Amino acid sequence: MSKFQKLEFYVQQRPYELLPFKFDRLNDNEYVITNMAGEYHVIPLPMLEPLINKTLAITSELIPTLRSKQFIRFPNEQAPLQLLALKIRTRLSRLAQFTNLHIFVVTLRCDHSCPYCQVSRQSESKGEFDMTSEMADRSLDFVFRSPNPAIKIEFQGGEPLLNFEMVKYVVLEAKKRNLKAGRNLQFVIATTLSLLTDEVLEFCKQHNIVLSSSLDGPMDLHNANRPRPGRDSHQRFEVGLKKARAALGYDQVSALMTTTDKSLPRARDIIDEYLRLGFDGIFLRTLSPYGFAIKTKKFMSYDTERWLEFYKEGLDYIIELNKSGIRFVEQYSSLVLTKMLTSGDPGFVDLMNPAGAGIAAIVFNYDGSVYASDESRMLAEMGDHTFRLGNILEHSYEEIILSDQLLDALENSFTLSAPMCSDCAFEPYCGAEPVYHHAMHKDLVARKPESSFCKRNMAIFKHLIELMGNDEDTKRIFMGWANRC
Amino acid sequence: MKREATLVFDERLYDVQVLQKAAYRAMNSLTAEITNADGKFSCVLSSNIGIDESSFLFAVQEFKKDVLDYQLRHRLNAETLPIKNLILGLAFSKTGLISE
Repeated sequence: MSKFQKLEFYVQQRPYELLPFKFDRLNDNEYVITNMAGEYHVIPLPMLEPLINKTLAITSELIPTLRSKQFIRFPNEQAPLQLLALKIRTRLSRLAQFTNLHIFVVTLRCDHSCPYCQVSRQSESKGEFDMTSEMADRSLDFVFRSPNPAIKIEFQGGEPLLNFEMVKYVVLEAKKRNLKAGRNLQFVIATTLSLLTDEVLEFCKQHNIVLSSSLDGPMDLHNANRPRPGRDSHQRFEVGLKKARAALGYDQVSALMTTTDKSLPRARDIIDEYLRLGFDGIFLRTLSPYGFAIKTKKFMSYDTERWLEFYKEGLDYIIELNKSGIRFVEQYSSLVLTKMLTSGDPGFVDLMNPAGAGIAAIVFNYDGSVYASDESRMLAEMGDHTFRLGNILEHSYEEIILSDQLLDALENSFTLSAPMCSDCAFEPYCGAEPVYHHAMHKDLVARKPESSFCKRNMAIFKHLIELMGNDEDTKRIFMGWANRC
Repeated sequence: MKREATLVFDERLYDVQVLQKAAYRAMNSLTAEITNADGKFSCVLSSNIGIDESSFLFAVQEFKKDVLDYQLRHRLNAETLPIKNLILGLAFSKTGLISE
């Protein structure tokens, strides 16, 4: 007689129990299901009802996967609950650290006159659009009140190099204060690179300042999108890029692109330009509904469907490049994939819930106003001060952080209680985005079926999941993007 | 031209919230007027201005699928709500399931 029980002895006799999950149709044949921590699985359409009715055979091939991803558990199993709790806590751990990104708008002056400018820049000579040292001091008082052990100070404009004296002042003052505060302090200057000088680079090198720039594509496209006197924005960018890389290090300069109607037929050209200039990724970014993008009607020049075609064409090309051995990342997809394939949250403000406004990023404007996000100050330049949290010269940290403007925006836009979002399988990957929805729909939540933010992101989430389901190599590439060091 | 379709649901099989949620999701293409009489929910679906016939028919079809989906979600949520609260409690407290 055998000392071992027969295999049947170990077969689960009692039915499984359901754990909380959400589902949505991926296409005509499949559902996506997501657990409480955002892990997903794709199941055939006819399997969903038996799964929920608990009539799925215990011998089904689906059972081990559903169990390992905590969609179901066997009676009295406690580990799935502990695991889900741990993953949720990990995903939301960023919240406890509070504000990381502090944006200093040191000037609204700019040497460019981009028709899609979202911040409504001013001409180079208007000094009244500069931040004063008193405002900078008070803003730094605020920055060091944040409990976050990592503090990033980003200088924006306009073109911040037009008020470089203020950039220097803030960096030196912040470093002085940090001797006592002991934070992990980082600085970024968002610049077109057109006004880069040896003096600027020397200062950046000395203080480990990273440069974040803009590149819209090949010379003709970039210069058409980003006009400046001399029509030489691209040439200046390229010269600046070379100098900055030589002085600061190759990876110390990044670039962002904005999609205009002129960009739409040129996805491959734009990506090729990024490759030619030695970048290892691109952020395929849609226009935002703020500033001159609205005034000049640039924002209305294409719809979500057309942008999605552009995005999908670009992404296909990038996947092709990766398969041929060229490592290149589409950064928005990479952010979403990090949320889909890991328990981490990359902390991208647009895709955060609760919204990242104020609690992940905050803006100190050139005029002393404090805004909940970069988009909030863009909205303010259009005369809408809904997300103005206070004035740095007049209000305390507590008054600003506990202001109704901020708390109402965070509470009212919370996706887990928003209509449609609360049932959506893609909610763990998405964001609340109260500022965008207020700008577009004059409502913090808006009607999601009418929201282009919802439409665009839902399409991206489904597309990424389908790409991974259709091709193992693509899945491997995406896993690499999600797990970058 | 305004288009209409009327769908009837047995109240023993469907929750009114399910119909409301499906109607909300479809609001980009149609509006729904939901009434209740004799144990039945009646949904009169009307096309939005500018929605052509094929888009309206597609939206009605999607509405029917969404009703089924939301009914299933309704059951799933009701069954898993206590355990969901337990998991959230675990996630944000310092206690474990097993006492030390």
